[in-house]
Amino acid sequence: MDLLERYLQAVGRHLPWQRQADILAELRANLEAQREEREAELGRPLTQAETEEWIKQLGSPLQMAARYQPQQYLIGPSVFPVYWYVLRLSIFWATIIYTIVNVVLLAVNGVSMTETAAALARIPSVLFITAGWVTLVFAALEVAARQYPQRCAPLLEQAAQWQGEGLPYLDPAEEKGKKPRPYTHAVAEFIFGVLFLAWLLLVPGHPYLLMGPGEYYYASLPYRLSPVWMEFYWAVIALNTVQVVWSAVSLLNGSWQGPRRVQHLVSKALGFVPVILLVTAPNHLLFVLKNPGADEVRYGQTLYTINENTHLGLMVVLAIIAIQLVWETIRAILESSRERAMER
Amino acid sequence: MTVAENLFENLRLELRRGSLSLAVLAQLRREHYGYTLRKTLAEQGLAIEESTLYPLLRRLEAQGLLLSQWREEDKRNKRFYRLSPDGEQMLGQLLQEWNTINASLNNIL
Repeated sequence: MDLLERYLQAVGRHLPWQRQADILAELRANLEAQREEREAELGRPLTQAETEEWIKQLGSPLQMAARYQPQQYLIGPSVFPVYWYVLRLSIFWATIIYTIVNVVLLAVNGVSMTETAAALARIPSVLFITAGWVTLVFAALEVAARQYPQRCAPLLEQAAQWQGEGLPYLDPAEEKGKKPRPYTHAVAEFIFGVLFLAWLLLVPGHPYLLMGPGEYYYASLPYRLSPVWMEFYWAVIALNTVQVVWSAVSLLNGSWQGPRRVQHLVSKALGFVPVILLVTAPNHLLFVLKNPGADEVRYGQTLYTINENTHLGLMVVLAIIAIQLVWETIRAILESSRERAMER
Repeated sequence: MTVAENLFENLRLELRRGSLSLAVLAQLRREHYGYTLRKTLAEQGLAIEESTLYPLLRRLEAQGLLLSQWREEDKRNKRFYRLSPDGEQMLGQLLQEWNTINASLNNIL
């Protein structure tokens, strides 16, 4: 079969069937005229090699056919900025919702290494499916906008409308010429927050993650942690969950760029809760004997000293945190009032 | 192809893309079929690939700027294109824009 006919047949396979015959007829007429002129110039028919060279110059059949298609992209430039914004938003919300649901499930069903690892391993597929759905919806919107331009144009125009007055106020740090916080820092804070939370959840089932080889030493001791430490543990989990969610929300609403004064102060204030739980432990019982009946006489006095000294140490920690909090609150109030004065 | 050559090629194509439609519309003030149009443009220094020109003609026709007609010539059916009344109006506007850009660029350069 003639090479040109084979080329046209290959192009035809990638053309829409409604216009296939018409496009191929026109393409054939143009290419045959081109070939005839070449042959007239040479005074002989083109050789097989020359025909091959010429056909190659026309471009691949797929490329040639693609140029006849009205749509060359899945999501066009007018829709793409909105798509990109919604995609980022969806991925962040999917991560947050997935993290919260899994933390709750692990807390209810009991923390296990296998379950936590499985939950972490599922994250990429959850994000991939989310991204897939968002892309699918926007690709459908793009097709609809092309098919029904009259109906979709007002929607696109409306989306493009915005008011200058609605723009957010200039960030005080930006205004003063300070370098804003980099986006990578904010993202890293969120990711490390999630990883730290996962690590914390694994600790009760796998104490070596916290104590390392000290776990064996702990097992050999006649003492163990009192139940108040579990309350402390769950308070720390709650505190870290709040921080992770806060980081995610600030990434979503754009406040990550600005100073995190309030977030910092609230985190510091919430940090009191776990320490207070330990400080207010009944009779300062932070450690108890594994075998009270057998070991009371031998280790009772030592245990009392350990508990009292630990309690004293915690009181000092509490006092340091309180002084820090008061100092940082005063500084934040002063800075805030100075910035307000500058804005005026 | 080096990075710089690739960048130049992309910018060159971008620069050409807009002017191709103008050249085709201007050339089709006189009737042509695909191959002779391509040949005429090439003779005037504006070579266009087949895979660019022939689909472009279809698009311009779909936009109402060209009219086409199948006709036999040299014992072969060919599709002839010429400028439509809307195309003539559009060509006038585009030429005006082209001249403005050209004058501005000459001033800048």
